[in-house]
Amino acid sequence: MQLTVSQHASATIVAPVGRIDHASADAFLAQVQTLLATHGPDSPPLLLDFSAVDYIASVGLRALMVSSRQAKSSGGKIAIVALQPLVQEVFNIARFNLVIACFDTLESATKELSACE
Amino acid sequence: MSFISSRLTFFFVRLSQGRLLALALLGLAGLVLYRIEDTPLANLHAAQFDHYQRQMPRPREEQPAIVVEIDSRSLAEYGQWPWSRDRVAELVERILAGAPLAVGLDMLFSEQDHYSPEALAQRLPSLSPTALQQLPNPDRHLAQVLASGPTVLAISGLSRQLSGSRAPQKPLTQVDQLESARPRLIHFAAGLTSLPILEHAAAGEGFINPSPEKLTATRERGVLRRVPTLALIEQQPFLSLPLEMVRLALGEEGATRLDLGAKGIQRIHIGAYSLPTQPNGEVLLHFGKADSHYYLSAADVLAGRVAAEIFASRLVLIGFNASGLQDRIVTPLGDSLPGVDIHVQVIESLLAGIALQRPPWLPNLELAALLMSGLILIGVIPAMRPRYAAATFVGLSLAWVLSGYIAFKVGGWLFDSTAIVLLLSPIFMSLLSGTLIVADNQRRSAEHALHSSREEAARMSGELDAARRIQIGLLPNPSKDFAQEHRFEVAALLEPARAVGGDYYDCFTLDARRLCFAIADVSGKGLPASLFMAVAKTLTGALARRAPDIGQAMREVEVELNRENPEFLFVTAFVGVLDVETGQLDFVRAGHDAPLLLRGGEILRIDAEAAAGPPLCAVGDFSYQAAQTQLAPGDLLCLFTDGVTEASNGVSLFGVDRLIDAMIAPARETSMQARIEDLRDAVRNFEAGQPAADDLTLLLLHWRGGKNVNAD
Repeated sequence: MQLTVSQHASATIVAPVGRIDHASADAFLAQVQTLLATHGPDSPPLLLDFSAVDYIASVGLRALMVSSRQAKSSGGKIAIVALQPLVQEVFNIARFNLVIACFDTLESATKELSACE
Repeated sequence: MSFISSRLTFFFVRLSQGRLLALALLGLAGLVLYRIEDTPLANLHAAQFDHYQRQMPRPREEQPAIVVEIDSRSLAEYGQWPWSRDRVAELVERILAGAPLAVGLDMLFSEQDHYSPEALAQRLPSLSPTALQQLPNPDRHLAQVLASGPTVLAISGLSRQLSGSRAPQKPLTQVDQLESARPRLIHFAAGLTSLPILEHAAAGEGFINPSPEKLTATRERGVLRRVPTLALIEQQPFLSLPLEMVRLALGEEGATRLDLGAKGIQRIHIGAYSLPTQPNGEVLLHFGKADSHYYLSAADVLAGRVAAEIFASRLVLIGFNASGLQDRIVTPLGDSLPGVDIHVQVIESLLAGIALQRPPWLPNLELAALLMSGLILIGVIPAMRPRYAAATFVGLSLAWVLSGYIAFKVGGWLFDSTAIVLLLSPIFMSLLSGTLIVADNQRRSAEHALHSSREEAARMSGELDAARRIQIGLLPNPSKDFAQEHRFEVAALLEPARAVGGDYYDCFTLDARRLCFAIADVSGKGLPASLFMAVAKTLTGALARRAPDIGQAMREVEVELNRENPEFLFVTAFVGVLDVETGQLDFVRAGHDAPLLLRGGEILRIDAEAAAGPPLCAVGDFSYQAAQTQLAPGDLLCLFTDGVTEASNGVSLFGVDRLIDAMIAPARETSMQARIEDLRDAVRNFEAGQPAADDLTLLLLHWRGGKNVNAD
């Protein structure tokens, strides 16, 4: 799994590519946690761009859950953007939209999250 | 510079694997080879060269020389040696009558004949001088005969002056390059010669010493391998007897010339003929097989039983071959020959231009071959498996041995391959033993690792087996527990993917009419997941029994589970409470797949937005709410985990649709236990031998109806 991070004024965008499964979940979590470590209430939101994620296993969900909890405890904002249909189905079954906010597009995410303030 | 130093560092790091010892051994081997003549290996060295000669003796096709031997028969017929000079003169005369190219006498006539007038005068003082004058002089007679043909007398070179020794009279008058070669040449301090009268009469003189070392040293085991060609006797140059004979035979064309190199003499030329020599002028004879065809008995020659023509155009030697007159040498071929035979071999060698060669650069070549081979072995052996290492050494050894034979065959070069192979052996052995030690250590550590990994595996599987037993033991057996129940029938099944998994199902009655059932999947696998599963199952069971409704029960379960959850595990679950009398179903879906409901051949999903929440522990304080639905008698509920829907055949996933097909498939009523096994088989058949990635858990609940059913 590859992962690119781009810093924008309105958001930090993390874009993983491929599968988030047993082989890649730990590395994914470690990178997101590193970003969250410097993340505070005033930081721009951390957006996980899932447009290139084909598959997510339960360990991947756990990584998202841990990230969400860490963000919550530090007062930062984290959200997932642009879920693919297969991953969306997993999210539906597991009701993970209740664990971590999900948005269809980057624009709607930044808009919604800044509106929250 | 840094490149070189890093390469050097690399080299020395590589050296550490037993190569240093091998390198030291190679240095020692090089020293031994360099000074091989001073070591016990010298015998082996010589033996190897003798072996070449035995395998490939010099061919003897022509017989340019004849030996007239003073053998036992001659002594029997003509009396004891020394014969009278008259008889010797007669013998020489008969040979000269055949017009030979030269006649060489391999014997000395140092004293006067017993019947010379001077000798008789001493022994018989009463004889009158007149009578003495009329007596024939045998020495003079022999001198006259010698002077009548190309005859060569023998000189015995001496290492020091003896009484009776004196300078020979007929040194070579012209030798090209003599002055430059002089310091290299073998030098005799004095010579034992024949009487001056004979010396003057003969056409030439040649020395008969095989080699000056023979006088003092016996290191060569008495085997004659080398003979001098040209030597200085009291500073005067002389050829050996056989070479002097050839020189005389050539007459005007028999000029003697030496080829000199940096280290000394390389080659001696006599007319058009030449032989390669050692720096001191010695020639390494390449012996031919012993032959007696060119031997004639002196008795036969004297008695005229041999036609004189046989001597025509041949070189004739007169020598001893009688057991009483011992003059025998041992050749490298293992033959014991009369000394005179050496002269024949020298003549044949010169005329054929064949001699063995061991020029001064050849030992250096051997040293280079040894060092190169040693370095190759040191370079490659430690990196090889023992089998290939041995093959490499054997191959290298064979190559050297073979090249030794080829060098001898092609040019008579004496290349000592045996010493190279022998000196390489300790190096190879030290390297091989290093390799074997490394291999042995590796094998031992591999065995050790295997042993401990087996132990570990056994220990783990013991632990995991125990954990699995506990896990499976936690699960109820609904077909047994509700065997007497008529209102509903439950069957459940759990097959872990690894030894232990995080799935579970549960099924118990809250009271007389309420049946609680659940299916759940803990994220993750192995011991942590199964421990979490045990806690989750116990909590759910306990809180479901106590709480007034299932929604509150699940809220409490999440709070309790979330209290101690360092691994951040979460649980997806579906929990339902069925009123078995009325068919009312209260349920909570916590991040789990909605169960299937088979009603009248149609598949529905048990789901409601209000009752659907995230997995337990995902949020930590989610407000789960129970939802209600009404079952109809005969409804069949199917609860499953992702071990079913995500079962893979390597290409695609089993999916909900295949599960639905499998649910609808049975045409007639069977027990829930048989049905659940059919569903399991459908999944396993789909997987077609692919290892299961996740626990496979199924729960079937068939509600027959309330009391009405009981009445049936």
